[in-house]
Amino acid sequence: MDTLLTQILNSLFYASILFLIASGLSLVYGVMRIVNMAHGNLYAIGAYVAAWTIGLASTELHVSLLFVLLVTGALAAALAGALIEPAFLRPLYRRAEEYQLLMTFGLLLVLEDVMRLLWGPHPLTASALSDALGSISVLGATYPAYNIFVIVIGALAAVGLGAFVYRTRFGVMLRATSQDMRMASALGINVKRVYVQAFTLGCLMAGLGGAVVMPISGAVLGMGVDALILAFVVVVIGGLGSLEGALVGALIVGFVRTLGITYFAEVELAVLYLIAAVVLFVRPAGLFGRA
Amino acid sequence: MSLLFELAAVNTYRGAAHVLRAVSLAVNEGETVCLVGRNGAGKTTTLETAIGLLSVRSGTIRLRGQEITRMPTHDRARRGIGYAPEDCGIFPDLTVAENLQIGRWLATDKGDGGAVDERIAALFPEIEQLLPRRGLNLSGGQKKMVAISRAMALAPSILLLDEPFEGLAPVVVSRFIDAARKIKGMGISLLIAESNVTNAARVADRLYAIDRGEIIFAGDPRRALDNEEVMKTIRG
Repeated sequence: MDTLLTQILNSLFYASILFLIASGLSLVYGVMRIVNMAHGNLYAIGAYVAAWTIGLASTELHVSLLFVLLVTGALAAALAGALIEPAFLRPLYRRAEEYQLLMTFGLLLVLEDVMRLLWGPHPLTASALSDALGSISVLGATYPAYNIFVIVIGALAAVGLGAFVYRTRFGVMLRATSQDMRMASALGINVKRVYVQAFTLGCLMAGLGGAVVMPISGAVLGMGVDALILAFVVVVIGGLGSLEGALVGALIVGFVRTLGITYFAEVELAVLYLIAAVVLFVRPAGLFGRA
Repeated sequence: MSLLFELAAVNTYRGAAHVLRAVSLAVNEGETVCLVGRNGAGKTTTLETAIGLLSVRSGTIRLRGQEITRMPTHDRARRGIGYAPEDCGIFPDLTVAENLQIGRWLATDKGDGGAVDERIAALFPEIEQLLPRRGLNLSGGQKKMVAISRAMALAPSILLLDEPFEGLAPVVVSRFIDAARKIKGMGISLLIAESNVTNAARVADRLYAIDRGEIIFAGDPRRALDNEEVMKTIRG
C-alpha cells in the first residue's frame, strides 16, 4: 500500500514538472504556430537562475525566503522570452516553417552555450530547500515534503493557467488570436503584442518548472534537451496547442514513467514513444487536439 | 456630404499577381456604397486592402482626411473601421458572447460599450439567444448576423461588409438589407462588396463596378442597371 501511494505521488510529481514545461510549449504553438525547440533551455534557464540567486542569498536569508527566490528562475525565463520573440522570431513569421524550426533549434544550442559560459560545466543546486522541508507522512507513507510542494505548484499552475485562458479578457483575446490571427487584428487586437505576451507566458511556465525541479535534480547542462523530448511526447499525446491535452498528456507520461522506472527500466522511454506513436496513429492531432 | 473614407489610385498585389489596378473609391459620411463585380474581380482584395490585411504597393488610403495607408490593421479597427469578411471569420471555439466581447471591450475603453449593445439588439434581437453558443455551432445566416454585430461592437464610423447577403434565402436577404438600412440610419457608413447587382441596387446610395481589378463604373445604381455594357461585364 505504501509503495503504491509513493508511486502515485512520484507520478504526480513528474506530471507537475512535465505540465509546467509542456503547457508553455503548447501555448506558444497554439497561439503562434511555432514549435519552439528552444523551450527546453528556457526551462534550464529557470533552473540555473534559481540555483544561482538562491546560492548567492543562502548565507544571508532564512530558508523560507529562499523559497520565494524560486520565482527568479521563472522571471528570468520570462524575460528571455520577452527578448527572444521580437528579436529572433518576429522577422520569420512570413517565412516557411523550416526557418522557425532552424531558428529555435539554433537558439536551443546558443542558450546551452550561454549557460555554460555563465555558470561553467558543473551542476548547480540548492538542496537546502528540499532538505529544509524534510519528510512528511501521507496516509502512513513517508514522502519528501518538497515533492508535495512541487505537486501543489503544478496543480495551482494548471488551475491558474486554465482560469487565465478561459476566464479573463486577455485569455479571450489569446484564443481569438490563436484561432484566426487576421480576424483578430481586424477586430482591433494588437496581434504583435499578444504574440510577445503569449511567448513570455510560455517561457515563464517553463522557467517555473526548471526552478522548482532544481532543488531535487540540480541545474545541469543538457537538462533542457532531455526535458524538451519528454515535453514533445506529452504534447503529441495530448495534442499540440491544447492546455487540457498538456495536462492529460503530462499525467499519462508521469504515470507511465514511474511505472517504467520500477518495472521496465530498460525500455521506459521506448514505451513512451510507443504510446505517442499509437496516439498519432489513432488520433493524429492528439487526444485533445483539433485536426 | 463630407468625405469619410477614400482609396486613391491604389495598387495591390497578392504574391506576384497584380490584383488592384489604380483603384479609387470614396465613401461619404452616412453613405452606403456598394462595390459590385464578378468573382475574382477584386472586391475582397479591395476590402482587405482597406482594413489593412493586405498592404498596398502604391496609392493612398484616408480616413477622415488622415492618411492610414501604412497603419496596422488593429489601429484601423480602433479608429473606426469595422470589417465582416465573406467567410464571417467567427472564432469557432469562442462563444458568440466572447466573439462580441472583444470589440466591446475595446469600445468600452473608449466609453461606448452600452450604446453598442443597444445597437446590436436593435439590428438582430435574436443574437441574445445565441450568446452562449460556440461559433462552431452556428448556421450560415447566424454567422452573418454575428459577424455584422461583431463589426458593430467597436462603434465604427464605417463598416466594410464582404458579401453579407451571400448564401441567404431571399426572405432572409430582405432582413439583412433592412439591417443595412438601419445601420445607415445610425449614421454609420457602409462599403459593401456584393456580386448580386439587384441586391446592391436595393441598398446602395452609390455604386462602383469593378472588373479585373479596375473600377469600370461609378455612380447612381439605377444608371448602372441601365448601362448594358456594365451589366454584361458584371454578370459575366
